[in-house]
Amino acid sequence: MLYELAQSLTGGLLIGGALAVLSVGFSMAWGITHVLNVAHCAFAVLAAYLGYWALNRWGIDPLLALPIMLPTFFLLGVAMHTLLIRATARRAHDPGLATMVLTFGLGIVIENGMLLAWTPDPRVLKTAYSALTLQVGPVIVQAPHLIAFGLAVITIGALYLFTERTFMGKAVRAVWQQPMGAALSGIDLDRVTTIAYGMAVATAAVGGVAMSLLYTFDPATHLSWLVYVFLVVILGGVGSILGSALAGLIIGLIIGISSVFVPLAWNNLVLFGLLIVLLLLRPQGLLQR
Amino acid sequence: MTHHTSRRQMLWAMLGAWIVALAVGACGQAPAAPAAPTTAPTAPTTAPAAPTTAPAAPQGAPIKIGCSLPLTGAFADTGVWVQRGYEQWAEDVNAAGGLLGRPVELTIYDDESKTENAVNLLNRVISVDQADLLCGGYPGTAAAAQMAVAEKNQKVYVSMGGHMASFSQGFTYVFGAPPLMGQWWYEGLYGWLASLPEAERPKKAAIFTINNPVGAAILEPMPEKLSALGIEIVVNERYDVPLTDAAPLVTKAKGAEADIFFANGFFPDSVQIVKAMRALDYNPKLIAQGVGSIIPAWVEELGADGYYVFSGTAVHPSLPFEGISRLNEVARAKYNAPVAPIYFIFGYAWMQALQRGVEGAQTLDQTAIRDWLKSNQITTVAGTFTFDERGLPPPYNYLTQVIDGKVELIWPPEVRTKEPIYPKPAWGQ
Amino acid sequence: MRRDALRSFGLPAPDALIGIGVALALVAVPLARPGAYLLGFLFTIFMYGALAGSWNIIGGYAGYLSFGHAAFFGLGAYTTALLLFYFGWSPFLTLPLAGVLAALFAALVGYPCLRLRGPYFSLVTLILGLTMYSLTLNLPFTQGSSGLFLPFLRVDVYTSHVIFYEVMLGLLIIVAAVLRQITRTKMGVGLTAIREDEDAAGTLGVDATRLKLQAFMLSAFLTGLIGGVYSYYKSYLDPSFVFATSISITIVLMALFGGRLAWYGPLVGAVVISIVNEMLTTHAPPQTARIVFGVLLIGVIMFLPDGLMSIAQRHLPTLAVRRARHPATRDEVA
Repeated sequence: MLYELAQSLTGGLLIGGALAVLSVGFSMAWGITHVLNVAHCAFAVLAAYLGYWALNRWGIDPLLALPIMLPTFFLLGVAMHTLLIRATARRAHDPGLATMVLTFGLGIVIENGMLLAWTPDPRVLKTAYSALTLQVGPVIVQAPHLIAFGLAVITIGALYLFTERTFMGKAVRAVWQQPMGAALSGIDLDRVTTIAYGMAVATAAVGGVAMSLLYTFDPATHLSWLVYVFLVVILGGVGSILGSALAGLIIGLIIGISSVFVPLAWNNLVLFGLLIVLLLLRPQGLLQR
Repeated sequence: MTHHTSRRQMLWAMLGAWIVALAVGACGQAPAAPAAPTTAPTAPTTAPAAPTTAPAAPQGAPIKIGCSLPLTGAFADTGVWVQRGYEQWAEDVNAAGGLLGRPVELTIYDDESKTENAVNLLNRVISVDQADLLCGGYPGTAAAAQMAVAEKNQKVYVSMGGHMASFSQGFTYVFGAPPLMGQWWYEGLYGWLASLPEAERPKKAAIFTINNPVGAAILEPMPEKLSALGIEIVVNERYDVPLTDAAPLVTKAKGAEADIFFANGFFPDSVQIVKAMRALDYNPKLIAQGVGSIIPAWVEELGADGYYVFSGTAVHPSLPFEGISRLNEVARAKYNAPVAPIYFIFGYAWMQALQRGVEGAQTLDQTAIRDWLKSNQITTVAGTFTFDERGLPPPYNYLTQVIDGKVELIWPPEVRTKEPIYPKPAWGQ
Repeated sequence: MRRDALRSFGLPAPDALIGIGVALALVAVPLARPGAYLLGFLFTIFMYGALAGSWNIIGGYAGYLSFGHAAFFGLGAYTTALLLFYFGWSPFLTLPLAGVLAALFAALVGYPCLRLRGPYFSLVTLILGLTMYSLTLNLPFTQGSSGLFLPFLRVDVYTSHVIFYEVMLGLLIIVAAVLRQITRTKMGVGLTAIREDEDAAGTLGVDATRLKLQAFMLSAFLTGLIGGVYSYYKSYLDPSFVFATSISITIVLMALFGGRLAWYGPLVGAVVISIVNEMLTTHAPPQTARIVFGVLLIGVIMFLPDGLMSIAQRHLPTLAVRRARHPATRDEVA
C-alpha cells in the first residue's frame, strides 16, 4: 500500500508538471489578454508533431528542436493576435466571447490541416531515453516523466522571473492586475498584450513537447488535452502563473492518490468533485489576482 | 420616415434570407456528392487483375451504395481504411462485370466521428440519394445507431455491429459479416489456453477494461471463461479515458502477482500501459490487449516493447481464404502497406457479403436479400459464413500475437502462421 | 408611422409576425410529403436551435456562460429513456418530468455555482458536464457503458419522422416564444442589468440571486425537455452522445455566432451553422470541408463580432445596450 502510494504520488506529481506547463499559456492568454484560446492545445499538438518529425526525419531530439520552435510559435502567436484577434476584439461588444469563437474556428483549421498533412495515425515519441528509468528508493521514476517535469520547472520558472524581474514582464503583470491603471501609466496596452499572447502560444509549444513525452497523440488529441487545461486553470486561477503550476501539481497528486484508494473507474469523479468543492470554497482559484 | 423605410427593408431582407436558407436546406436534392476521393495514385501497372477471362463491362443504371464513415475526427485512422476497403471492392466488382450486370457507385460521407451525423447521413443516403444498398459505419456506437435507422427503413445493413446488445434487439435486417464482437474477442485465446496443459497456463489474471461499450462487451464473458480454464481473477477494474497515469494499474497487477494481464482498451491507453509495465519492470507471462495492437501503428510507434502482445481479430491478412493474398498485393502496390491492414480487409469483406446476398437473391429487394442471406452459406475474404436469426455467424475469433514486428496468427491451429512465444521474454529482448 | 398604424390594429410587432409566419410555414412542411432525410435534418436544426435558445436565457441574457449545458440535455434524455426502458412509459408522456428533473438539478447546483463569476462559472459548468458523463458511465442502472436500446414508435418510419419533426418544432416555438417574452418583461431588464453590471444591479432593486437561479432553472427545464425527445428519436442511447462536451460547446458557438442579445440570434446561428456544415460535408472532401468551415467561422466573427444579428441590432428589439467604444474605458483588453 505504501509503495503503491509513493509510486502513484511520484508519477502524479511529474505528470502534474506537464499539465501545468501545458496550461500556463492558456491561463496567461485568458487572464492578461482576455482571450479564451480554445486552439491552445491544437498549437501544442502541432508542436508535438514538429518534435516528432524532427526526431524521426532528422534524428533531432524534440528537446533540441524546442529552441527553434519557441521563437517560431512566439511569432505565430504575435501574428495571430495582431491580425485576427485585435481587430475582432476592438469591434466586439464582448471581446472575450468573440475571440472564443475565433479561436474555435482556428482550432478546427489547425486540427484538420494536421489531418491532411500527417494522416490520423496515432504517434508515439520514441527518444533515446524513452525506456530509461531511475530508482529512488522503492519508487521507479521514468526518464520521460522527469524530463517533462524539468521542462515545466524551467519554463514556468522563466515565466515567473520574467514577470517579476524584467520591465516588460512587470508591464504584463500590471496589465493583468489593473488594465486601466497600466494604460494611465503610459504602458502600451496593445504591445504588451500582443507580447503576452505570443508568449502564451510559445509555452503551448513547450507543453506540447512535454505531453508528447508522456502520451500518444494524433490530430484530434488536442480536445482531450484541453479538458486538463480547463481543470488546471479553474483550480489555479485565471492568469496566475504560479497558480497554474500549483494547480497542475495538485491535480496530478489527486489523480495519483485516488487511484490507490478509489476504484479506477471513479477517478475522474473524485477529481471533478474535489475541484467543484474547492472552487465553491475559494471562487478565485488557489492564488488570488 | 427614412428610418422606418430602412427598417422595413431590413425586415424584408431578413425574411428573404431566412426563406432562402430554408429553401437551400430543403433542396436536399443536392447534386450527387462526388465519390469519396481515394488517395491512390493512378492504377499501378503491377496491380494484379482479378479474373483471367475478360468479363463484359457492366451496363445500365448504376447501383447506388451509400453510407457514412468517420473520415475526420477521433476515429479517422480506422475509418479511412474501411473506406479504402469499400472502394477496392467497388473497383473489383466493376472490373468483373458489375453487380447483377450493372456498375456500382459508392457514396461515402464523412460523419466526423459523430454519431449524430452518422444517423442523419444514413437517413440522407436512404431518402435523398435513394441508395439501393447500404454499407456499414464505424465505430460500434455509430453502427448501433445506424442499425436502428436501417431496421426502421427495412434496409439490409451489413457492418461490424454494436456488440451483442445490438444483435439482441430483434432487428432482422442487420448482419455482422463478420461482426466485431467484443464478447467473442478472446475466443482464440481461450481456445489456445485450453490446449495447454493446466500446469503451463497462467494462474492469476489482472483485468483492466476501458469504460465504454467495447470494453464492457469484451469483459462480459471473461469471468466464466477464465474460471473454466482454472485462472483466478485477482484484479478486475475499469478505467476512464484519457488515462492520465498507467502506473497505478501496473502496480496493482504487480502487487497481486498476476501472471496474465488483460489490457482491454484502445491504442493510446494500451501504449501507456505497456510503457509503464516496462518502466516498472513488470513482466507477466502473457499480455492480452483489446483493440489497437494489430494496427500498423502499434509496431511502428511502440517498437519492440509492443512485441509478444496477444489480441483477437475476425480477419487477418494471413488467413488462407481466397482473395486475401491479392488484397495484400493491392495494399502494397497502392498504399505502401506491408500487408493489407485489418480494416481494409473488413471493409472489403462486408461489401462482399452484401454482394453475395444480392447475387444470391438476384434482386435489389431488401427483404429478399435478407431472407437469402439467412438461409444460405456465403464465402468472402473473411471466410465462410452462415447467419442465424439475429444476423450473426457462429462465434469465432482468431488469436494473434505480435512477433518480430509482425502480427501472426496463433489459433485455431489450421490458420497458425507461427509458433506462439510464451511465456513472455523479459523486456528489451 | 406605419408601425404605429399596425399597432393600432392590435397586431404584434414585426419580429413576432415574421416568427409566427415562419413557424406556421414550418408546421405545414410535412403536408408536402418531403423526404425523410429533410425531416430528420430539420429535426436536428430545430433541436440545436432550441438548445442554443434555451442556453441563451442564462448564457446570453444573463451573461453566465454555461459550458456544461449538455448535463441538462443528457439528464432529460436519460430520464425519458430509462422510464421507457424499465417501465414502458411513453416519453411523450414523461417529457415534462424530464424538464422538471433537469430544473431541479439546476436548482441544486445553481445555488452554489451561480455565486461564481465570469470564467469560473463557465469552468465549473464544464466540470459539471464532465461529471454527469462520468456518473452515467459508472452507475449500473443507466446501462451506461453498454448503451441503451429503446423500442421504436409503433408507426411506420415516415410517420415517426413526421411526429418527431412536429414535436421538436413545437419545442422550438416554445423556446422562441419564451426568449422573446423575456425581452419584453421585467425579467429581461433584470437579466440585462445582471449581465452588464451585477453589483450595480443590486442597487437598482434587482434580486440578482433569485433572478439568476430562475433563469438557470428555466434554461435547464427547456433543455431537459429537448433531451427527453431526443433519446426517443435516436432509439439508441450512449452517455457519449448526450453528455458530450462538444454538444455544450456547439450550443454556445451557435448562440454567439448568431448573436446572443436577440431572441432570434441563437436560432439563426443554429440554422446557419447546421446548413453550412451540411453543405460542406456533402460537397467537399472531409478535411477540406472542416477547414473551410473553420475559416468561415473566423471570417464571419471578424466582421460581425457580436454575431450575425448585429447587422440588425440597431433596428430590431434586442437586449443590447449602447456601450462606450474606446477600449481604454472598458475593462476588457485584448
